[in-house]
Amino acid sequence: MALTLEKTTKPLNGNNGATHNPAQTDLPPPPYLGRSVRIVGPHVNVDMNQSPHPKNARGELGKPLFNWYRNTVSKDPLTRVSAPNHFADRRQFLTTVINRDSKGKVNPNRIAVDDPAAMTRHIKAVAHYMGANVVGIAKAHPTFLYAGSRYVQDGTAQDAYETQSPEELVRKFPFVIQATTAWDYNKLQAHRHHIGDSAYHVSQMKGVLVLKALEGYIKELGYTALRGVVTPQAAGVAGGIGELGRNGLVINKNYGARIHMPDPILTDLPLVSDRPVDIGVEDFCKICRKCANTCPTNSIPFGDKVVFNGIEKYKINWLTCYKLRPYVHDHWGSCLTCAAVCPFTKPNVWWHSLAVWTLRTCPIPVRPALVHALKWIDDRFWGVMRNSRVRWLSYDSGIKPGEHACTVAGCTASHEGKGHSVVGDAGYYAPLKENTNRFVKRA
Amino acid sequence: MRLGPFKIPWVREDSQKHDPYWDFFINTPPADMANTVTEMIRSAPEGNVFPTKAELHTPDITSSHVKELASYLGTDLVGIAQLTSLPTAGESKSKGDDTYPFAVICAVQADYDPRKAPGIGGQVPVQKGLFITFVLSAWIRELGFRATAVLDPNAEKLAVAAGLGILDAEGRLVTSKFGTRIHVANVIRTDLPLAPDG
Repeated sequence: MALTLEKTTKPLNGNNGATHNPAQTDLPPPPYLGRSVRIVGPHVNVDMNQSPHPKNARGELGKPLFNWYRNTVSKDPLTRVSAPNHFADRRQFLTTVINRDSKGKVNPNRIAVDDPAAMTRHIKAVAHYMGANVVGIAKAHPTFLYAGSRYVQDGTAQDAYETQSPEELVRKFPFVIQATTAWDYNKLQAHRHHIGDSAYHVSQMKGVLVLKALEGYIKELGYTALRGVVTPQAAGVAGGIGELGRNGLVINKNYGARIHMPDPILTDLPLVSDRPVDIGVEDFCKICRKCANTCPTNSIPFGDKVVFNGIEKYKINWLTCYKLRPYVHDHWGSCLTCAAVCPFTKPNVWWHSLAVWTLRTCPIPVRPALVHALKWIDDRFWGVMRNSRVRWLSYDSGIKPGEHACTVAGCTASHEGKGHSVVGDAGYYAPLKENTNRFVKRA
Repeated sequence: MRLGPFKIPWVREDSQKHDPYWDFFINTPPADMANTVTEMIRSAPEGNVFPTKAELHTPDITSSHVKELASYLGTDLVGIAQLTSLPTAGESKSKGDDTYPFAVICAVQADYDPRKAPGIGGQVPVQKGLFITFVLSAWIRELGFRATAVLDPNAEKLAVAAGLGILDAEGRLVTSKFGTRIHVANVIRTDLPLAPDG
């Protein structure tokens, strides 16, 4: 098939927009999202400005959180270049460069797409080529979209589509592309430590880069790509990247919970959407509760799913999860314990694929027995709580606060005199839930 | 290619051969450069050096940490060259070579030569290289040492000085692992005490 370039003679939004009357809403039926999430009732689209970070940026969550978010420079050099909001100089943080408002224009010479399936394969190959680990394409649905204004990191997404309702946007842009990167498995084992932070933050920067490059590429193909419009988790679940777990994270069959859900791309590029998957997360989460047991703030529920805003799912308490952060800021940035202990979070190797394959090919009524067996194996071989000692660069998750010992093998430097610390001595692996009791009030 | 849960590693899915859009991705230059991430990173200003110097280990260990971080960020080959002892230093047009004692050279594998493939896909190695050098040089500045990552016409010569490979007749870098399919990213010049290779 030859590649043809054709001039667009009609506006990008086609003929739907002109004739459509927003009053008569012919909403598509609620989408099937797999077994882990169900849309059961009326859903009010979430305004992104009411989500944790924007709330905190306005100071609505109290002084300690506000100061942590706005006025805290990290002691750790790698955190200062890789974590949002804790830099000494924001120019050192790549995401502030990448996540600016897109200045690029849509290419007027639109590439004709004769075969959406070929384009789907192409977009996925492109995303993988740029460095994404998992790519999923979801059919857009109004319930996936944010209400109100758009969420773009620097707050300047003033385009023609900003004032449009979710229904109108979905009609014009029927597909959502979610591409994501996986965290490094070995570094994640040092969760609640700067090493774990680097697993999280560095792959987050990579993911931001890949999605921005993909957004630019779609514009170069001659199609529109909108960011800051779609709820990432909804796109991930609907696009078959994974299922929603008890810990509120999307769990992938290869990487488990150690993937990001970055801001996806809403587009009018003709594609073929993926289906939600069943990899047994639903059956596993019903029984396992490892994340709920180990969560330092009891933010993960032990009980059943609840219906929240018309959606049946496990509902985590984001506020208690969030409130911990200012108090542990010297030791770690992102807790990550719920992702590290999840039995699905394993190296992407054959025995992990085999276990997930066994689970997902198992008939659903038999699965609880298999889950009990797999969980027993997981507890036995990998531990109820992951607490392996990880060393990377100057960091060592075995060092406690106050201990300034240099544990780098073969280091003969004196490390004395100037009174300030060796790189990497900040960091404290806190294995016990009791350590956080004094920070968080429990009901 | 998969057989149930098992990957068959010797049967590769070569989707690019049957992809009608792949040539556009690799070879068609972007109509608007603002759509490329490479342009965004290139035009970004450099940050400040952190006022307090971090206490370092020995130069050998610092070098291994720089290399470890570089490969974690996605470098395929990394080396450190000493700038003062470089025989080609006289040819170098850029000033300030003498004030920076070391150069960190990162190279990424390039399936298509970025000099001949101007498409967004052909520039992916450049994009990866810019990501690595941006974060790595920012990290060195946060350690309290000066570092600057700039496009350098002598990058391939410095790569040879850092022991990554040799130059062929056309002046291209040839490495033992990737041959000429390698892109040398921006050179990071720094005064971080390192132990040069090569």
